[in-house]
Amino acid sequence: MATSVTLEDALSNVDLLEDIALPDQQPCIEPPPASIVYQANFDTNFEDRTAFVTGIAKFMEEATVHAKLNEMLEEGDEYAVMLYTWRSCSRAIPSIKSNEQPNRVEIYEKTVEVLEPEVTKLVNFMYFQKRAVDWFCEEIKRLCHQERRRDFVSEAHLLTLGKFINMFAVLDALKNMKSSVKNDYAQYRRAAGFLKKMADPQSIQESQNLSMVLANHDKITNTLKEKLETIPGYEEILADVINICLTYLDTRMYVTPEEKHVLFKVMGFGLYLMDGSQSNIYKLDSKKRISLSKIDKYFKQLQVVTLFGDMQIPLYSYITKSPHYEENKSRWTCTATNNSPSYNILEQLQPIREEHTKYISELARHSNEVVTTAQKDSPRTDEENKELCDLALRGVQLLSSWTVQLMELYSWKLVHPTDNFSNKDCPKEAEEYERATRYNYDTDEKFAFVEVIAMIKGLQLLMSRMESVFNEAIRRNIYADLQDFVQIVLREPLRQTVKKKKTLIKSILTSIRDTCVDWMRGMEPTDDPCLKGEKDPKSGYQIHVPRRNVGPSSTQLYMVRTMLESLIADRGGPSSKKTLRKEMDGMALTSLDAFHKQSFFYTHLLNFSETLQKCCDLSQLWFREFYLELTMGQRIQFPIEMSMPWILTDHILETKEPSMMEYVLYPLDLYNDSAHYALTKFRKQFLYDEVEAEVNLCFDQFVYKLSDQIFTYYKAQAASIMLDKRFRAECAQHGIQIPYPPANRYETLLKQRHVQILGRSVDLNRLITQRISTAMQKSLDVAIGRFESGDLTGIVELECLTEVNRLTHKLLSEHVSLMDFEAMFREANHNVSAPYGRITLHVFWELNYDFLPNYCYNNSTNRFVRAVFPLSQEVNRERAPPNTPQDVYGTKVLNNAYGHIYNLYTGFVGSPHFRAISHLLGYQGIAVVMEELLKIIKSLIQGSIRQYVKTLMDSMPKICKLPRFDYGSPAVLEYYYAQLQDIINYPELKTEVFQSFREVGNAVLFCLLCEQSLVSTKTPSQEEVRDLLHAAPFQNIIPRQYVKEGEKPEAKMKKLEQKYQALQVTSVIEKLGTPQQAAIAREGDLLTKERLCCGLSMFEIILTRIKTFLEDQIWHGPPPANGVMNIDECTEFHRLWSAMQIVYCMPVGENEFTVEQCFGDSLNWAGCLMTILLGQQRRFEALDFAYHILKINKADLKDDVIKGVNLRRMCDRIRKFQILNTQIFATVNKYLKSGDADSLPVEHVRCFQPPIHQSLASSC
Amino acid sequence: MAGGRDTGSAVQRQIQQDWANREYIEVITASIKKITDFLNAFDMSCRSRLAMLNEKLTSLERRIEYIEARVTKGETLT
Repeated sequence: MATSVTLEDALSNVDLLEDIALPDQQPCIEPPPASIVYQANFDTNFEDRTAFVTGIAKFMEEATVHAKLNEMLEEGDEYAVMLYTWRSCSRAIPSIKSNEQPNRVEIYEKTVEVLEPEVTKLVNFMYFQKRAVDWFCEEIKRLCHQERRRDFVSEAHLLTLGKFINMFAVLDALKNMKSSVKNDYAQYRRAAGFLKKMADPQSIQESQNLSMVLANHDKITNTLKEKLETIPGYEEILADVINICLTYLDTRMYVTPEEKHVLFKVMGFGLYLMDGSQSNIYKLDSKKRISLSKIDKYFKQLQVVTLFGDMQIPLYSYITKSPHYEENKSRWTCTATNNSPSYNILEQLQPIREEHTKYISELARHSNEVVTTAQKDSPRTDEENKELCDLALRGVQLLSSWTVQLMELYSWKLVHPTDNFSNKDCPKEAEEYERATRYNYDTDEKFAFVEVIAMIKGLQLLMSRMESVFNEAIRRNIYADLQDFVQIVLREPLRQTVKKKKTLIKSILTSIRDTCVDWMRGMEPTDDPCLKGEKDPKSGYQIHVPRRNVGPSSTQLYMVRTMLESLIADRGGPSSKKTLRKEMDGMALTSLDAFHKQSFFYTHLLNFSETLQKCCDLSQLWFREFYLELTMGQRIQFPIEMSMPWILTDHILETKEPSMMEYVLYPLDLYNDSAHYALTKFRKQFLYDEVEAEVNLCFDQFVYKLSDQIFTYYKAQAASIMLDKRFRAECAQHGIQIPYPPANRYETLLKQRHVQILGRSVDLNRLITQRISTAMQKSLDVAIGRFESGDLTGIVELECLTEVNRLTHKLLSEHVSLMDFEAMFREANHNVSAPYGRITLHVFWELNYDFLPNYCYNNSTNRFVRAVFPLSQEVNRERAPPNTPQDVYGTKVLNNAYGHIYNLYTGFVGSPHFRAISHLLGYQGIAVVMEELLKIIKSLIQGSIRQYVKTLMDSMPKICKLPRFDYGSPAVLEYYYAQLQDIINYPELKTEVFQSFREVGNAVLFCLLCEQSLVSTKTPSQEEVRDLLHAAPFQNIIPRQYVKEGEKPEAKMKKLEQKYQALQVTSVIEKLGTPQQAAIAREGDLLTKERLCCGLSMFEIILTRIKTFLEDQIWHGPPPANGVMNIDECTEFHRLWSAMQIVYCMPVGENEFTVEQCFGDSLNWAGCLMTILLGQQRRFEALDFAYHILKINKADLKDDVIKGVNLRRMCDRIRKFQILNTQIFATVNKYLKSGDADSLPVEHVRCFQPPIHQSLASSC
Repeated sequence: MAGGRDTGSAVQRQIQQDWANREYIEVITASIKKITDFLNAFDMSCRSRLAMLNEKLTSLERRIEYIEARVTKGETLT
């Protein structure tokens, strides 16, 4: 089955992968994706040492020791992890309360069962530390041997010894700190002792030893020191180790943060070991063997280093602990507790930023070159490779320095927790860890922290993207360097040594060459003159050095460097004066030195991916086993508020700092680092689980806070845009600032569709969309809820809120996919499947219970205002739903501003309200409201009004004439007063009767004003026009087209008509729908088309409908006796209305309310409307009592007070009401179309015979 | 002396062979690395595109639900 593919094909296939376009729209604001991590490790730990037969035996031997030490170091690391991550088991085990407890044995058995595997580890640890101490001392002894002492010890070896010293320090400190280890072991011993597990003397002894190791503080250190002091000259080796550390620090010979800190710890602990009964570091210093002042300088700069995890050690503590400290106190400055400038991250930030910018731009140039010259045929030149290789090295060094900066600040802060005194925010009872993390950083520090993290992670991403390129360049460059060195550079020293017959040096040089040389032809050219110590021929001697894409193996590199070092080393105490260096030629030395120095970084570069990861590892910001141990079981884990990653994330979210917003995912990535570390280094499932649990919690919080914030942000933005500009300007003039929300960068975050967290990929956009949708829905719900909790005037604010929400929706829709606004609005309005929404229902409810009975109309302002005293009972409304500022206009300031604006609309109901109503209710809503209003009108007219009219008609005089002018107006008034006595004194007239009329009037006026707001051209709302335009495409209405010369417009229209045929509603429904649907469609189409053409009016229909309510006999009375019309008889409605007019025209006393104040013009509207609809308008105008008084008064201009009524004032009122009535008649007639056609009255004219005088009649 | 040279050249040949072998391993490693990078990029790209698709489907689903609710009176479409 398997088809064979050649290597070339396979490789070219791999290369082709690069050509596949993999679009990913999201902006990159998170660390590199790590679905698959591939790291090749070719470190053999000297397993292959025997293959290098050409090497010098001594160094092969050293390699063997080295390998062994490395293994022990690794084991030591495992024990350190075991101790660090130890969680107390004994606390979880139930304690035995009394000796009589029945399940005592069982508990002990279980205790042993549970603890045994752990205790085994401890036993192993005990043996290990013993073995390690022995081994170390053995090694020191070997190196200190009188004969060996003259010999050279390689840097690598010294460094490994240094690492051992570090390991002892760490293990001892961890053992001291973990009291839970001791407790667990004590519990185990008790249980095991009870069960008689440890019967044989050997195990008793073992157990005894282990207790001693665990119980004694600094047991390892003390044993080590004791043993070392038995070795004569041990301090010399340690001094070498310390010096090498110092040199490395001086020359920055370290890459990863850990390497740097190990150097520090080795110096500190090394000094402590050296200062004892046998040796004195101060004497060594005066002998210039070591330089304490230099060390002091370093320790002053870096006061605290990480010992392990979150356990820190102040470096001066090693110094102060040492025995000779007291008498030499004055020599140390690092012990003073002053702040080192390196802990001021704010000052460090600027240089870091500059480095970052500079490096990023350089990297970008190379990265662009890689992209644009991907297809380049010729491989990179040596120079290009070198440049890239240098770039890679500088990159990791930069990253490392930034990481170091952060971690050192973190360490320092852990050792220097804050307190209530220095930070007022820190409560007095704050616990230790809280004081070290949560309250220990100020705002700027947190921002700086985030920024540096972002720079680290950002650069890491950029570099890891170029990893393949870097890797190749690094390998090619190292290969070229190495081969050039051994094949070309080494020729000159070789020639010299051959010439001067220095066999030892020659043998070392040849050995170096043979260990790693890769000759062009597989063999060393035999004719090379340098081998004979001769000069090159004049023409020069050519050696072609091959080029390969591979670096030296780890052992090879070690051998070459160590052998080279043995040549150039000038180190050593007074006993090793004779070094090979002195026998070498100066020129050759420089080149050897240079190569030795630059080859130091080869290991790091060859393991580029691993180095990069180590340099960017910030995992330790989360681990807190040390502090957990300190709580003595009070805490199982710390809450997220004390956790560094969340503190930083939350800080960005809380401050909403726009420049930091895009960094918000970086602090969250710290969890990735920690989880990775827990899984791969600590290898502890429970730690991973805890990280995971925290991430779950934090991420929820994060999404919750973020989406809330984003919604508020866009809401406030929309509300700011919608806020009246002049209002804002006006406010500004009065010194009230309504700020625009500061711009923030949420767009980038909203584009994140695959955030990598703990190996999961989270669609952030989707999560935020879900929450924003809910928030949007809620704010619409709140808007309607607010309207429902108030009276009808709230409709204007509701409209505005709807618009603000609509704009918010529009702004948000650019970034997230929300449901259509209309759909959301309908849902909030409960209008999806129900025909009428909450708004319609509430409008109607308000009309019915509040508007109709309580509002007074003013015909000149076209407004309704609330009556001065209500005639109906107080209405109870639902309470407004609870809400937060972002549910309304976004912020408190905006809510306040809008509150002030819309407060102006609460005092009346006028055209803005009607516009809002017609806008929000739509045709359907208006139709239903009108229908309901008609029902109310009907019930009023046919119910209470009819009843009252009937009653009042009975109290009307049978005949009431229009007295002659001669009587004078006072007399006429007196006449009417007498005639209408019963009506005037009817107790319910001014309350119940007028109230009923007012309600009818209000209802009718509501319909009228609604219609006006729908069609009126005076108002800016052009609801209908817009609707018609929208409908046009579906109705076969095609705008006139531009016609080119020679084109027939008809033909073009035909074509267009054909083109849009599928859109036409009627024809489509006729084809596909039921006959019923087709009929509806046709009607709708017709209605829409003709609505404006022939001025179809809704109000006219309403009037016609009301007319049908007035068919009762009571309105007309019996037919006139004279067969033409009633003149003096009071049987018709208009006579009653005239009587009422007399009543409401009477002026009122000082503290009484006028009829207008109580009922407004609605009263007149109802009366006049009914008069018109009953066809009694002319008769009313001609025969009205009040008009008659006015007419007479105009003529005689008399004034008098009749029965407490001031005639002049009454006439004034009559005049006003006459004008009002005329206006009402005109308006209604306009709608009834009785006024517009001149021919109409003619039709209605009935021709009567002219009356004939009786005398004449008889004569005829 | 001659024997020494022979073993010397044999070692040299072996070392050259070792270089060649390790270069071969290096090439393979680099290729695996490239494949890894490709897979990671592919993963990201797919996730992003699937997320877009998911978003579209979700919004369509919601629309259908909405329209269904609009056109029916209580009962759901079958």
